Formats: sequence, C-alpha cells, structure tokens
Amino acid sequence: MTDPNSQQTVLEIGYSRLGDYVVIELEGEVDVYTAGKLRDAIREKVEEGEYRLAVDLSKVAFLDSTGLGVLVGGLKRLNPHDGKLAIICDNERILRIFRITGLEKIFTIFPGAQALTETRAGD
Amino acid sequence: MACSAGGVIRLDMPSSPRYVSLARLVVSAVARGLDFSEESIDDLKIVVSEICTNAIIHCEPRREEQRIQLICCPRPGALTVEVRDSGQGFDPSCVGTFEEGLAAGKGFGIPLVRSLVDEFELESDHGKGTVVRVTKYDRLPESPPGPR
Repeated sequence: MTDPNSQQTVLEIGYSRLGDYVVIELEGEVDVYTAGKLRDAIREKVEEGEYRLAVDLSKVAFLDSTGLGVLVGGLKRLNPHDGKLAIICDNERILRIFRITGLEKIFTIFPGAQALTETRAGD
Repeated sequence: MACSAGGVIRLDMPSSPRYVSLARLVVSAVARGLDFSEESIDDLKIVVSEICTNAIIHCEPRREEQRIQLICCPRPGALTVEVRDSGQGFDPSCVGTFEEGLAAGKGFGIPLVRSLVDEFELESDHGKGTVVRVTKYDRLPESPPGPR
C-alpha cells in the first residue's frame, strides 16, 4: 500500500489476542521506510511481557529483506524468554520470499488465525 | 545498455527510505509496459527495493546529501535496471549468503537479488560509490505440446 498523494509506503499495525498469542496485524508494505514500525511493535510487546507473538502478513502487499530481518530480530528477542514468533500468511507472493530465503524452516507459518488456534489445541 | 525504441527511463532521487517505494513504482510500470508476468514484476519490485535500500545504507553517514540514480533499460522480453550511488562503497567480496544473513539477522538482500534475476553485476570500491546492474528476462508460460 502506497499513499497516492505522497507515493510513500504505508504500514498500518493493529493488535488482537488469540489465546495466549498476541497477533500483530499488518496492512500495507514492509520496507526500509516502514520496517521500524514493525520492529517497535515487536519490541513493545516483548517489553510488556508478551512472549508468544504471531505476525499476520495476510494483508501485506510487499515485504523485502528489511522486513525479514525485523522478523528474525524478533525471534532472537524472544529466544531468551523461551518465546515464540509465528507467522500467519496465506499470501503466495509473501510466502515465496520465505521459501527463497529458507526462512520457512525458521518460522512456523500458519495459513490463517484459525490454523494457529487449532495447532495450539494440539500443543 | 542497448534499449528498445522507448529508450532509457531515469529516476534521480534523494538517498532516503521514503523514496524506495517510488523506485518500485517506476520499475513495475516499466515492466508492465513490457507485458512482464505479475511474478516477474513482483521479483523486480523486490530486487529494486533491495538494491535501493543497500544504496541508502552505503550513503551513510551523509545520506541526505547523496543521491541515487535508477536507470531502466527496457528491451523486448528483458529489463535491465541499474542503480548508482555515490556513497562510501564496500568490498563486494563481503557479500554473504542466506545462511550468513540468517545468523546475523540481516544481509539477505544481495543473495535475494541474485536469486531473482538472470544477470547480476556489482561494481563497488571504498570511496567510489556502487553500481548494481541486473537484468530480468520475462518467463513466458511454456506452450502446451502440439499434436503428434
């Protein structure tokens, strides 16, 4: 998502809770201009003591390696707390980047929030 | 670069993160004009985003004084994109792999670019800026086999 007036990248961030997971819902584009917002969102939640995070990329239209780096950084931030950072995404354009970089092996990726709930039930 | 009749498209922009989306927009419009597939256009958007992001990083610490040039050279079925910066440059042999990027939590950019384009050239040296030139050929769907 790009602001048609300024041609600047836009990233909206919302939050919801799904069981013991905090879901960080993204809408827009994640690049060098907006990735800081995602980094801050993850950091804030960890500082609040939330160690089970799910980043929902279903409404993300663009993601590059800057965004991937923020997600990997989030994972490292959670590791000392024995936390989890799951990805929710059914967008093939975005999933392809995870496959190319091999990050699909690092993150647990769910096709939707429902799938995250079902997996939790089986934990 | 030998371009088609449409000629070269140039974008001269400040070395600022806020303009990376503009670079993506320009490249996707040029690729769309060549009837590239949506997948190839997506690839080019990522490629340009990565290269411009690196260029901005290379332009530190006096980033705001520096500019980045994006040059698109369209040909039938192919698009060459060149990104030039006048930043501090770096040793190209330092470019790592996906695995090294994973360990560091950054540095996925150039390996990702390499995997998405057909031709990749990088010229850089300390104090002399960086030029990255990539070419992407559009992949047309294979024709179904004809009658035997």
